[in-house]
Amino acid sequence: MKALCGEGINDVRVQDVPDPQLLNDQDMILKVRLSTVCGSDLHLLTGHIPFMQAGDVIGHEFMGEVVEVGPGVTKHRPGDRVVVCSFIVCGRCWYCRNELYSLCDNTNTNPAITQHLWGSDPGGIFGYSHAMGGFRGSHAEYVRVPFADHTAFQIPEAVDDMSALFASDSGPTGWMGADLGGVQRGDVVAVWGAGAVGQMAARAAQLLGAERVIVIDRFDYRLRQAELAFGVETINYANDQVGDALLETTGGRGPDVCIEAVGCEAHSTGPQYVYDQVKSKLKLEMDRPIAVREAIYNCRKGGSVFVLGVFTGVVDMFPLGALMNKGLTVRGAQQHGQRYIPMLLDRIASGELVTDHLATHVMPLSEGARGYELFKKKEDDCLRSVFRF
Amino acid sequence: MNTAGKAAVTAGVVAAYAVVRRRRAAAVQPSDRWPVVTVSRAPEEVRASLPEDLAHLHGQVEFQVRPATGDKGTELVAKASGDVPRHELRLAPRRMKAVLEAGEVVRPDVAPTHPGPMGKALQLVTSRAGGGGRL
Repeated sequence: MKALCGEGINDVRVQDVPDPQLLNDQDMILKVRLSTVCGSDLHLLTGHIPFMQAGDVIGHEFMGEVVEVGPGVTKHRPGDRVVVCSFIVCGRCWYCRNELYSLCDNTNTNPAITQHLWGSDPGGIFGYSHAMGGFRGSHAEYVRVPFADHTAFQIPEAVDDMSALFASDSGPTGWMGADLGGVQRGDVVAVWGAGAVGQMAARAAQLLGAERVIVIDRFDYRLRQAELAFGVETINYANDQVGDALLETTGGRGPDVCIEAVGCEAHSTGPQYVYDQVKSKLKLEMDRPIAVREAIYNCRKGGSVFVLGVFTGVVDMFPLGALMNKGLTVRGAQQHGQRYIPMLLDRIASGELVTDHLATHVMPLSEGARGYELFKKKEDDCLRSVFRF
Repeated sequence: MNTAGKAAVTAGVVAAYAVVRRRRAAAVQPSDRWPVVTVSRAPEEVRASLPEDLAHLHGQVEFQVRPATGDKGTELVAKASGDVPRHELRLAPRRMKAVLEAGEVVRPDVAPTHPGPMGKALQLVTSRAGGGGRL
């Protein structure tokens, strides 16, 4: 079959790879219909996460049609249309039972790497390096889905393929930021990043009762899209002082909840960007936490900061003093998608949550390299490239 | 990245892994601490499964079962009484936990056919990663 593989630094190519097989009783094989790029893929392709092998199939946000199920699969049958969570979960360990699905104890086949890096191993992810299990990704004609009963979800009739696609990862990730960030009725919520995850976090904050939602980015086209889709307020940090704007917007308090949806390769216009770039190039710092610093600094006293963006290791100049003295709650997580996906599909079906506008560039897999190039360089107002099979 | 760069990074990955292993080995004698996993099942269920799932380690590993705190289930402790590699001592309770909780041990997908120099170095690490880690 054809699949889009990472072949080295910033090098993705369509290759012929063996078809996936059922390897466990609870596996199923999915014929992929749609699979989208994600900002976190860029960390893999730039070598920021150095646990890839040449030829690894990438991609983790997808939906499709079931073609084969193992004897241990009870919820899905061939022909079913499903969306698959990017995190593979067993559904029965203590973490899964407590809805902390991305922390699943039983799905990372290489626990040693992340145990040494982070102290404990999170669950496995499709197409997201050998540190996260070494599972093949979804930019392929077919993909094996382990623990299919707990990893995949039936798509309601009323939800089209493209809308369902974003219930795989960006939708639940964004929702989790607002939910676990503790958004309450009447809150002012600031979201750093107007990509798909940031937009989903902004919409979730609205639906959870936030009175005002402000989205921050440096690309006007992304901010415009967020304004048009959800009626949020926006700040372009390339043209405006974020701190001043947030203080003015919030009556001098700062946002109640700050959601960071940028990740470890953040940009900024200030000297700290140069500082972080130099330190990361010299391997003296692994991640550039610019948006996290800004969120902590600008959050109101006693407020909440949720880190949704992907980080890999240690950071420099973390504002621990602000965190402690302002009495902030800082929390982060990879997405606990299984907790939210059925609810999100219902909200998409009812029209409450719009997602299909995120797919700005739809193309066949054969144009995969171009899709990543557009996405990475933010060319042609690209928000997400989506591969259709 | 050119070939020299790849080789340097590969060497770095391998060296870092070796350093971590050495430092850990120096800091903690493997026999000082017992590998323990927490299984989200009742102690009697764990106890009932022990002989079957760990039969191949009979006589070489002593297993103890004790209740975990709160609602977390059961702690399964493994201690070598024979000459069992630490790798195996970690792997056995991990696999048993997976079977007891999830019904099976998930298998990794087939590795790429042309992993490259960095990938080959990484394969050295991942080939033993199931029995590695902090346990």
